[in-house]
Amino acid sequence: MMLPYFENLIQGIEERLATDKSGIVARKRLTLETARLGKRLYSGEERITWSGLVAPYDLLAAMGIVPCFVEFIGGMLASMGSIDPMLEQADQMGYATDCCTYHRAVTGAVHQGLLPEPDFLIATSAVCSGGMAVIEGLARHFDKDLFVIHVPHEKNERAVAYLADQFRALTDFVTEHTGEALDPDRLRMAVDNTNRARAAMIETYRWARQVPSPARSRDLINFGIVMALFLGTEGGAEVAEAYRDEFARKAGENIAGVPGEQLRLLWLQNRIQFKNPLVEMLEQEYQTAVVAEELNDIAWDPIDPEDPYPGFARRALSFSLVGSTAHRAQSIQRLAKDYQVDGAINPCHWGCRQGTGARGLMGEALRGAGVPTLNLEVDCVDPRNFAEGQLRTRLQAFVEMLLDHKAAAGGP
Amino acid sequence: MNQEITKLAGFTCAYTPLPLLAAAGFTPYRILPVGQAPDQAGSILHDNMCPHVKRVLDRALDDDLPGLDALVVINSCDAMRRLADAWPKARPAEPVMLLDLPYSADERAVNFLRQELLALAEKLAAGSGRLPSQEELHQSIATYNRLARLFDRLDARAAAGTLTGGRAGLQRWHQRSVTEPIDKILAELETFAADNDHPDKAAAGAPILLFGNVLAETEAFDLFEEAGARIVAEDLCTGSRQLTVLPENPAEDPYLILARGLLNRPPCARTIHAEPTGDLAEQVMRRAQETGARGVVAHVLKFCDPYLARLPAVHERLRKEGMPLLVLEGDCTMRSLGQQRTRIEAFVEMLQGEES
Amino acid sequence: MFYLGVDVGSLSCDAVLVDEQGQMVDWAVIPTGARNVESIAKVQRQILAKSGIPLQQVGATIATGYGRDRVEGRLASVTEITCHGRGIQAALAGTEVLVDIGGQDSKAMLLDGKGRVLDFAMNDKCAAGTGRFLEAMARTLEIELAQLGHLDKDAHGDLTLSSMCTVFAESEVVSLIAEGAAVPEIVRGLHRAIANRTRTLIKRVAPNLSGLAVAMSGGVARNPGVVRTLGQVLDCEISVPKEPDTIGALGAALIARDRSVKR
Ligand SMILES: Nc1ncnc2c1ncn2[C@@H]1O[C@H](COP(=O)(O)OP(=O)(O)OP(=O)(O)O)[C@@H](O)[C@H]1O
Ligand code: SF4
Ligand code: SF4
Ligand SMILES: [Mg+2]
Repeated sequence: MMLPYFENLIQGIEERLATDKSGIVARKRLTLETARLGKRLYSGEERITWSGLVAPYDLLAAMGIVPCFVEFIGGMLASMGSIDPMLEQADQMGYATDCCTYHRAVTGAVHQGLLPEPDFLIATSAVCSGGMAVIEGLARHFDKDLFVIHVPHEKNERAVAYLADQFRALTDFVTEHTGEALDPDRLRMAVDNTNRARAAMIETYRWARQVPSPARSRDLINFGIVMALFLGTEGGAEVAEAYRDEFARKAGENIAGVPGEQLRLLWLQNRIQFKNPLVEMLEQEYQTAVVAEELNDIAWDPIDPEDPYPGFARRALSFSLVGSTAHRAQSIQRLAKDYQVDGAINPCHWGCRQGTGARGLMGEALRGAGVPTLNLEVDCVDPRNFAEGQLRTRLQAFVEMLLDHKAAAGGP
Repeated sequence: MNQEITKLAGFTCAYTPLPLLAAAGFTPYRILPVGQAPDQAGSILHDNMCPHVKRVLDRALDDDLPGLDALVVINSCDAMRRLADAWPKARPAEPVMLLDLPYSADERAVNFLRQELLALAEKLAAGSGRLPSQEELHQSIATYNRLARLFDRLDARAAAGTLTGGRAGLQRWHQRSVTEPIDKILAELETFAADNDHPDKAAAGAPILLFGNVLAETEAFDLFEEAGARIVAEDLCTGSRQLTVLPENPAEDPYLILARGLLNRPPCARTIHAEPTGDLAEQVMRRAQETGARGVVAHVLKFCDPYLARLPAVHERLRKEGMPLLVLEGDCTMRSLGQQRTRIEAFVEMLQGEES
Repeated sequence: MFYLGVDVGSLSCDAVLVDEQGQMVDWAVIPTGARNVESIAKVQRQILAKSGIPLQQVGATIATGYGRDRVEGRLASVTEITCHGRGIQAALAGTEVLVDIGGQDSKAMLLDGKGRVLDFAMNDKCAAGTGRFLEAMARTLEIELAQLGHLDKDAHGDLTLSSMCTVFAESEVVSLIAEGAAVPEIVRGLHRAIANRTRTLIKRVAPNLSGLAVAMSGGVARNPGVVRTLGQVLDCEISVPKEPDTIGALGAALIARDRSVKR
């Protein structure tokens, strides 16, 4: 089911790219790269690993591994509209429905034989406890070796050294499983690609911050989180550069992503992964654009190609969902200011203890910083619980309130 | 006996290095998720949050707790991290000290934890003015070991159904052992343990293994016994997993002993089993067989991701061996457990092969 | 001697009387109501009057159902699960998987084919997917409960309800009516929702149903629409005993007999 899906997807996008006249192709390039990754995972011809979210993907790429975090599959199944049987399977296995749907979907999918067998697995303690336990379960299911990475809570030099050390040990672990030592030249090249992608992403975001923003609300959906998977690869760097060029051009020609942009929003944590009309509704009825996404943020420095491990470690530690809520709130406040947003949307993905679990604290921190926030209470991957009417009303009320504020604050 | 008034260090996780807290001049005080404090924590965090953490926070919000001179939180899971984040909302004046906890027990992890423990000792010392000497730490480890060994012995008697007061009585001691000064509790418990065995009403019950995370209420154990179960082994983080015997070696760095000891304790679900992978299911099965249990009861709190994610594998494993499993979802109230009474009774009836 | 089983359920209070050989002599079902002690006395009086058997002839009583501990003069309380397992054995010998859907609980049981319970699963605390849920929906649709199960015979659509929470499902049904959906299609949607939920419960105790004898008990088994839809989603034959809501009381009566005769 999955391999043909990705093959069709690739073919479809390639055709559309070949005949494109609009020049607005960055999003398609990203989807194409994603589909290619999917194909590689399912081709049965490559060495693959299932991992936690903050694994060093460029290091793995340099070692010839196709890496993927498990949540990717949950999101993928949701966007394909094929997630229901997986969730039901998990339910039948006794996996409580109060838990994160990403995890339940993966657990169901693996038991339905929908996950390719990895060569080994990598669990990371960030971003959430459930994710770690699920990867352990996959390792047990496939009877494959598991490498566990403990991402420390605090961000200090001791933590960096400890995490870098674990990444070095991961290198040995991978070598043990592939029989191939890490080639220093390939690592350097991978790090160069990472830095290239990073630079292009940062520039893309710089353009996205313009008022009006060249970003359409769907341009940057999942961008950062999916780009993480392509770090270290040429293809990843090219996608990022396509975004940069497209945004630069649009900004230069003053083309707004949402014509007549009235409001700008920041999206926290997960986007809704299945087809839904909410974002279009915001764009069309209220000229409201989602210009920033929390998980797209890059808060790490370029990585030193000669000594990349500490850089990998700092990058993992910089992720907004790693560490305390205060750290996360700071990242979000910074984004809100940089992007000049009028408000934020917290989807409060059902079952997420890591992000949603801090709903109250986040709300307070953002209110304190003058960022109005709407808590949606939605399951980002399970379309069965999608109460469209109710969500629509909430969003509309929120946006109307923001428009009111704006008018009262001396709008045009 | 130590008569000076010590300071109180709150804690919430079985991985807390109690000997270090005590040696640094604190009485460790476990904030048990019990009592009647009204639900408020959901608004600070989220309602879909571990009830253990919510209840602990509710107690703080309701002032259903003595004042603490420190709160030591272990970075064991998402929910605990959120507790550390939220504590200042309830008790702004109480310093929160977070101890990071690795997931494996290799040397790298042990060394990291050792440094974490050293850092914690310094933070504690800033509050108490007492940085423990090596000797004091060794001593404190030995004292806690005495307590842990006592509990091991009492646990065996409870399993046989001959302990006066049964499991509920033992649970009362478990509660006291983490809320009262160690010297006091040790003395009292030694007296109690010297008492002769009395056959208990539970002795004839259907033998079960009870495992899971948090189940602090003594009444819960009565409920199981009244339903006709005999708990031959208990593996809960508010019970037998609270205290473990650590190695004693005066020649070794006590911080290293603590670090290694904590990482090699009987694991809870937050601990990832890399070798062999996903060993929790095997451990439960082995334990059930070793203890002669005829069925396994998993008491797992709602919203506890580490445990809930593992239950399917546990279920599959036990089913393969024909070992019955009953899963009870808890929320740190006796009310919710009471509502599941029918399941408990039906499970016991099933084990006893009622009316076959 | 005769033996009495009383099942004090959340909605119905049932009594069954069996004789020395374990043959059913009579049964009675009344609503439990708000005061279950009164209903218990009433159903006991009723069955004795109906069967003409004097109280002195009742050798023992076993009580079951959520109100089992309120039954005076009982020999013992036994849970509904054990009783349904035992009862179905008498009504439909050889049953290996039994699902009992009552007013507030649904339960799936794996049996050894001789009435002994090997494993069981129960729904969560809320009433989603139970008789109470169906009653609320029937009210919303303004149709008689007894009609509900026949209405969807000719419906074939795949209309689905996204929520099984009584409150949300009610408003969903209201908006479906507003959108002009045909009532039989809505009813089918309701039954499918219940069937899917029940399938999950059943699969927890019996991941593979092939070759197993499946039966359904409890008042909801009187609803042929639910039984039919459940058979469809499970892809198997589902047997329903006569008077499915008395199976628990029957099991209780048989246990009363077994225990007394053994003694
Ligand atoms: N003729 C009928 N047609 C359709 N449904 C019916 C009919 N009679 C009863 N029911 C359903 O049966 C349900 C009651 O079932 P039952 O008598 O088994 O419940 P109970 O044993 O009281 O409840 P519980 O076991 O949950 O405590 C009612 O809610 C109703 O939906
Ligand atoms: S949504 Fe939350 S619980 Fe789910 S995978 Fe992401 S961080 Fe983990
Ligand atoms: S019960 Fe589970 S979620 Fe709660 S603190 Fe313990 S391990 Fe964490
Ligand atoms: Mg019933």
